[in-house]
Amino acid sequence: MTGLTQTLSKNPLREPGDIARRYTVYVLVGGAVLATSIHLLVLGTDWSRMGTLAQIGETVASLTPNLSYIPKVAEPLFETALMAFWGTLLAVILSIPVAYLGATRTTPSMLLGFPVGRGIIILSRSTHEIIFALIFVAALGLGPLPGILALACRSIGFMSKTTAEAIENVDQGPIEALEATGAGKASQFLFGVVPQVSPTFLGNAIFQFDINIRRAAILGMVGAGGIGLHFSEQMKTYNYGNAGACVLAVVVLVIFGEIISNRLRTRIISG
Amino acid sequence: MVAAVETLYKSYRSDQRRSRLLKFGAALALLVFGIWTISYFAIPIDRLARMFGPLGNMLANRIFPPDLAYASSSKILLSVVETVEMSLLGAFIGTVITIPLAWWAAWNITPSRYFLYPLARGIIVFCRSLPTLMLGLLLVAIFVFGPFAGVLALVVGTIGFAGKLMAEQAEAIDMGPVEALRATGAGPLLVFLFAIVPQVKPAWTGIIIYNWDARLRSSTILGFVGAGGIGLHLREKVSLLEYHGAMGIIVLIILLVILSEAISHLVRQWLR
Repeated sequence: MTGLTQTLSKNPLREPGDIARRYTVYVLVGGAVLATSIHLLVLGTDWSRMGTLAQIGETVASLTPNLSYIPKVAEPLFETALMAFWGTLLAVILSIPVAYLGATRTTPSMLLGFPVGRGIIILSRSTHEIIFALIFVAALGLGPLPGILALACRSIGFMSKTTAEAIENVDQGPIEALEATGAGKASQFLFGVVPQVSPTFLGNAIFQFDINIRRAAILGMVGAGGIGLHFSEQMKTYNYGNAGACVLAVVVLVIFGEIISNRLRTRIISG
Repeated sequence: MVAAVETLYKSYRSDQRRSRLLKFGAALALLVFGIWTISYFAIPIDRLARMFGPLGNMLANRIFPPDLAYASSSKILLSVVETVEMSLLGAFIGTVITIPLAWWAAWNITPSRYFLYPLARGIIVFCRSLPTLMLGLLLVAIFVFGPFAGVLALVVGTIGFAGKLMAEQAEAIDMGPVEALRATGAGPLLVFLFAIVPQVKPAWTGIIIYNWDARLRSSTILGFVGAGGIGLHLREKVSLLEYHGAMGIIVLIILLVILSEAISHLVRQWLR
């Protein structure tokens, strides 16, 4: 251990200025952590309301999944998966025109189309799905439909962004070859760009489906259908065992979805 | 020769036909499944078609203009500070926990393949599969209302998010230095510090910054279940149906997220 501390303190390969910069970063990070900890955990937390260890243990124990509730969870769980599926599908379809507008190579107009495409991408990527769900629930009422629309709005950004990037990184060779044969713009896009972009596109769509399962699970907490609704109801009525069952079901669904999506993606990428 | 080419061509054609049939079948199954789900959900198609009226009306009259005076009041701005602090602290503590976990969860460099590897993998998979908002509500119930639960939820989110990415990066390293250090008789900790860390440092730094960005997004919404931050005020405004105020907060959140994305992008470029 002494060897280790020696090596760390007297390293002849490191320049003194480098060491000074390093310690400045350490001090800054340490100070920020200390300040935020004091603000949030000492001043911002009501420690008098925090239970004793025994009480906390009791609450955790009461969250043990109530297995007899699992059959009742099956249907909302299926609804959650379906919402994720539909949200992803809608986003995939809608992202094609957005990516077309937002890619410098294909955009019809840099002045009008490009900013619109990029604006949609930024807005969709930086708005949380719960916010979209709130807006759609307020406009459309409760149920899975606002949830699907919220998921679609949330996913468009990622799908369009990655697709636009894929379009910009396309290999020019096949397109030039097509142009040399006298193919028109549409044929060039269809047979030159699409085959190069489609594996990335499909892989990203599956990835989004995987993420959308996770997102769909919480949308119910604002009334947009799926298992989140049951979860928050059980929490509000202090049926912690049933709430635990909901969480267990979500964990299983998400892990299952991730395994399937990984399998599918490796299959698509390897051909 | 000609016959061989002929058979080859025939097998190619039949392969092509089969793959086309498969694709067509998959598309057909998807279509049938889609139509069935519409009836399963009992989605009111007519309402979908007429939604643009109410949606436009709501956007025009009840949401716009966002109440920016409310959004820039000191109460709200203070909760923005709290949100940012939560994301920083949660990402920091989470990263400190994630670094050893990522080391253990990388198959090529894990100190113990039969004990630490499955343990670390299990923790990461479990943390990944818990949606942050659900976890926030659970932690509020277990501990206490406020940022304490939020920070804990963000720590778990970090372990799940950064743990997987960091372990993946560690699995892609060059094993040469690792073996060279092991040959000198260095223990697992020294091997980690001097053979693994220098190789993964750039990738891990990028992941850590990206993770902070992702945590900030979740921390804006954690207040919705009472786990601290600006989400609490959003929930209040929505429950009171004061959409102008709610929209003001939403605008603030969007600006915050865009700003954080720009910062994380700049920092990653500066480090490169």
